[in-house]
Amino acid sequence: MTGQSLHRRRVLQGGLGLAALGALPLGGGALAAEEGDTIIAAAKGIGKTELKAIMWSNYFVPMKGPIEEFEKATGIAITGIKDLSTPTIPQAAMAEALTRSPDFDIVHVGSEMIPSLVSAGYLEPLDEYMHKANYKMDAVGDYANLATYGGKTYGIITDGNIFVHQLRKDLFEDADNKKRFEDKFGKPLAYPKNWDDDFQQMKFFHNPEKGIYGSGNLRSRGFGYVWFLMYLYSFGGFPFDPDMKPTVSSDAGKKAIAVYLRDKEVAFPDSPSWGTSQMIPHIAAGDVYSCQYWGGLIKLQENPAKSKTAGKWIYGAVPGGEANGKPLYRAAGMPVVVLTVNKNSPRKAAAAYMACWLGTEKASSQIVTDRVNTFNDAWTRKEMTDPRVLEAYTPGGVKAIQANLQVAAPNIFLTGNQEFVDVLDKNLGQGYLGQLKADEVLKQIDEDFAKVVKRIGTAKLKKDYETYATIMPKATQPS
Amino acid sequence: MAEALAGAATGTAAPGRLDASRSKAVRRFKWMILSPLLLMLLSLLTPVLLLQLYFSFHQWTVYLSSWWNADFVGLDIFQSVFTDPRFGWAVLRSLAFAGGSTIGCFVLGFSLAYLIYRPFRGQALYYALFIVPMLTVPIVIAYTGQMLLDRSGPLNDILSRLTGHDIQVLWLSNPDIALLTVTLLDIWNWTPFSFIIMLAGLSSLPKEPVEAAQILGASSWRIFWEVQLPLLRPVILLALVLRFLDAMGSFPIIWGLLQGGPGTATETLGIYIYITTWQDFNVSLGAAQSYVTMVMMVGIVLLAIRLLRREKRSLDTMYAKPQEAEETA
Amino acid sequence: MTKTRRRRVAAAGRYAFLTLWAVIVVFPLYWIVSTSFKPSDQWFSWPPVYFPSPPTLDNYRDVWIGATSVAEGGQTALSLQTPFLALRNSLILAFGATALAVLYGSVIAYGVSRYRLLSETRMFQLLMLRMVPPIVIVAPLSLYFSYLGLLDSMFGLGVMYFLTSLPYAVWMTKSFIDEVPREVEQAAEILGASRWRTVFEVVLPLIRSGLVATFMFILILNWSEYLLSLILSKTNIVTLPVELSKFEGSTEGRLFGRQAALSVGITFPLIIIGLFIRKHLARGFSFGMVRR
Repeated sequence: MTGQSLHRRRVLQGGLGLAALGALPLGGGALAAEEGDTIIAAAKGIGKTELKAIMWSNYFVPMKGPIEEFEKATGIAITGIKDLSTPTIPQAAMAEALTRSPDFDIVHVGSEMIPSLVSAGYLEPLDEYMHKANYKMDAVGDYANLATYGGKTYGIITDGNIFVHQLRKDLFEDADNKKRFEDKFGKPLAYPKNWDDDFQQMKFFHNPEKGIYGSGNLRSRGFGYVWFLMYLYSFGGFPFDPDMKPTVSSDAGKKAIAVYLRDKEVAFPDSPSWGTSQMIPHIAAGDVYSCQYWGGLIKLQENPAKSKTAGKWIYGAVPGGEANGKPLYRAAGMPVVVLTVNKNSPRKAAAAYMACWLGTEKASSQIVTDRVNTFNDAWTRKEMTDPRVLEAYTPGGVKAIQANLQVAAPNIFLTGNQEFVDVLDKNLGQGYLGQLKADEVLKQIDEDFAKVVKRIGTAKLKKDYETYATIMPKATQPS
Repeated sequence: MAEALAGAATGTAAPGRLDASRSKAVRRFKWMILSPLLLMLLSLLTPVLLLQLYFSFHQWTVYLSSWWNADFVGLDIFQSVFTDPRFGWAVLRSLAFAGGSTIGCFVLGFSLAYLIYRPFRGQALYYALFIVPMLTVPIVIAYTGQMLLDRSGPLNDILSRLTGHDIQVLWLSNPDIALLTVTLLDIWNWTPFSFIIMLAGLSSLPKEPVEAAQILGASSWRIFWEVQLPLLRPVILLALVLRFLDAMGSFPIIWGLLQGGPGTATETLGIYIYITTWQDFNVSLGAAQSYVTMVMMVGIVLLAIRLLRREKRSLDTMYAKPQEAEETA
Repeated sequence: MTKTRRRRVAAAGRYAFLTLWAVIVVFPLYWIVSTSFKPSDQWFSWPPVYFPSPPTLDNYRDVWIGATSVAEGGQTALSLQTPFLALRNSLILAFGATALAVLYGSVIAYGVSRYRLLSETRMFQLLMLRMVPPIVIVAPLSLYFSYLGLLDSMFGLGVMYFLTSLPYAVWMTKSFIDEVPREVEQAAEILGASRWRTVFEVVLPLIRSGLVATFMFILILNWSEYLLSLILSKTNIVTLPVELSKFEGSTEGRLFGRQAALSVGITFPLIIIGLFIRKHLARGFSFGMVRR
């Protein structure tokens, strides 16, 4: 125990030292500097440009430093944002797309919106600009694929959202608990490898009377479906077959819904309506044994000023399911928040280079390590060894993020994503409340999916399917 | 009388010609007042309604084509509205929400007004406090409700302390309670409206009938039921109708608090249409849903108008006589 | 004896009931205020924290000045977007549209009252303009506005506020104008004043307090309007209620304290104005249904 906390402190000090040096052009390293230079060279001819973006201000603030730098070098800057909370940005972006409006140049949105926005004629492919600027998204694993559609790149990642499994170290390592667990189940208390292990542990530690709830997973509207999709993928399932016939009521679907619904036994009774707003404080306050959550939470709960559980967590790979007799790991990588560029904007080149610039190692590491606006998460390969990142996320946290990024599974990556999500929201919600039985939920989802597919067009969605299938991670488990 | 005075003032013109030019001037005056409104309705509202109608008959799939190329599908979209159980539930929830809020606001508003309308010590303070919720922005109420109504939030905490039991009502997470919860918040928000209307009504009641009843020895309960209440009927009806219509369209409180959840427990018409249109971007279905809603609302309004008008007539005849008497005198 | 006792019990009961409701009214407002002074770990804590300890001005600073704390990490302070643009927009839109609606509404009301400008049926139909919820027209409206170039324009949103306020403006002001004796206008007419001058210089000044009440009521509605503003605005004309809904990240949750600090700024000006003119309010709400 003491050894580890000492270690942590050393890292912390090292991190602080480096952060202080951050003003010097030391942070990036040779490659990043080159990378940035080529972008500046490509963008220089454009001249003074004022860009407007749809973006949440709390995402925007840490970008201000890099933006100013880019402005000094090229005259291009983001001068105005439509400041919306992230859940409302897809609506705003679609509204822009429908009117083909040139008002905004950059939209900061979850990558699952890319198919819809491209289909509505709103997004500019960025490959050509990236090529000219000699820029490449250097993400961990296949993560950057989640920003592509039909073989083209449409978004530059700024926020590497990825699920990390976390459990309470203090409870997990307690000798008494270990013994009790072994006595009860005849096997040692070990880090959970699959959903059954996970559930067994959550149930073992679930003790509402003492203020400890087994699970901190979300089941409410707008959130629960993320978990369901993750379970579905991890059992080898997929929402559609190549002909776009819905296939949620498969064996994989049955297993997934079972995992989804049994969480109720170990969850807060409030979980039908709790989103992150309510759950995060509970997790940070120490009321939860384990959960899968976005990696960004680590920054918050490891910050002693904001959390009672700093240093009390173990992070690792999200538990897996099983397909064809082999373990299969899938961590929810949604939403991958990306900078997209409006095709109808006369300033699209400037916007594209700005996006590339913000996706460079140098800019990104500055953005994701902001200690106050902690909303952007690390995603590039280099960041995984950056002392500032290690300090913010703890070394264990970074390792877990890195592992899960390799098996990052996407949201429903089809045109009409929001409609499919609404179907999931409605039916999973009713299932969780007991208004529908498990197999009814699956059947209803398939029926509703079929209606949406029919309306949007089977032929069109079949093409989308190809992208959707190819951006699924190749690795079956983190290396 | 007016004409006579006017004629006397100008003195010269013949009464007939004067009338003609006067009525012409009046007509011009009327048109000058009305034309901006008509212009706005014609240029802003009419195209919007036509566009809405177009979308209700043309399936526009936003990812496939521009809106003017949408396929004509006849009544298909309306059919899917009428066969959609989710829409039916949304109608029922809206009616329950609006009905509950209307009755709640009225009962509370009336009780408060009845208790406060005669002068007593502290009257001004209570009055000032009671109108405050109406001045609060609904979206603020929604976000504050999220904190107050949490299972371990202040409301349950205070109830637990007061009763000595551990009260853990799931105000927001229990699907059987959630709709009631948002209705209660709406009642909190809009009771002042009913309160003020009822207060205006009560304090302008003629005193004579009550005094007469008192002389006859009627109990205050009977006076209330048999004298005051009937006299207040028009005002009560107004308070009820306006509140009901407003509540049918209520959006920010439910949206800000629960977005229609948990499950679909608070998915009212406003929420469902919003989801269809702005989340699913099924503009056509949203348009058809809107038309059905609009027709329903217009039906309710027409009914309300008939009721209100009858009350207003009876009120007018009740008061017209003494006024006429005054004028002739 | 028993009678006075019963009366005393009744009076006590009345005070108890009224006080209970007063507490129910005040508590949520207190909660907003106290949350706005709480540090982040007390926004949503168990058991609930009733008194911020220690109270902090951080939320106000973050929201209204736009500075974030430099505390940990030693990084530079960066400024957030401040709500002053939204405040300006709300002031202009709510006050402007309300003032115009009351002005125009009272002229129409005068026409109705004196010249039967609108039949009773039309008057009720006018009220319908308000009663059909905005959600049912907002989609084609935004499309139509985008072609007119009225999206994100003060004029566009202002016109919608104006139109939706008009029914209440006409109805409420009419109830006051009905009470003005005709002889006053006739006298003015005899003196040679035009109809317009009669309206603006004789009739409207006579119903001043009624106009104030009408103005206030419509101001409440426009100040807190959410849906139209959400959909018809982009960057330039965002209003405060929409600005308020931005304190939420999809994976991070809601920033309750900052939101409360903004809520205080949105809510309390209106409450203060409302309390100042509360006497006028009661009269305005009778819609001509109550005679005195």
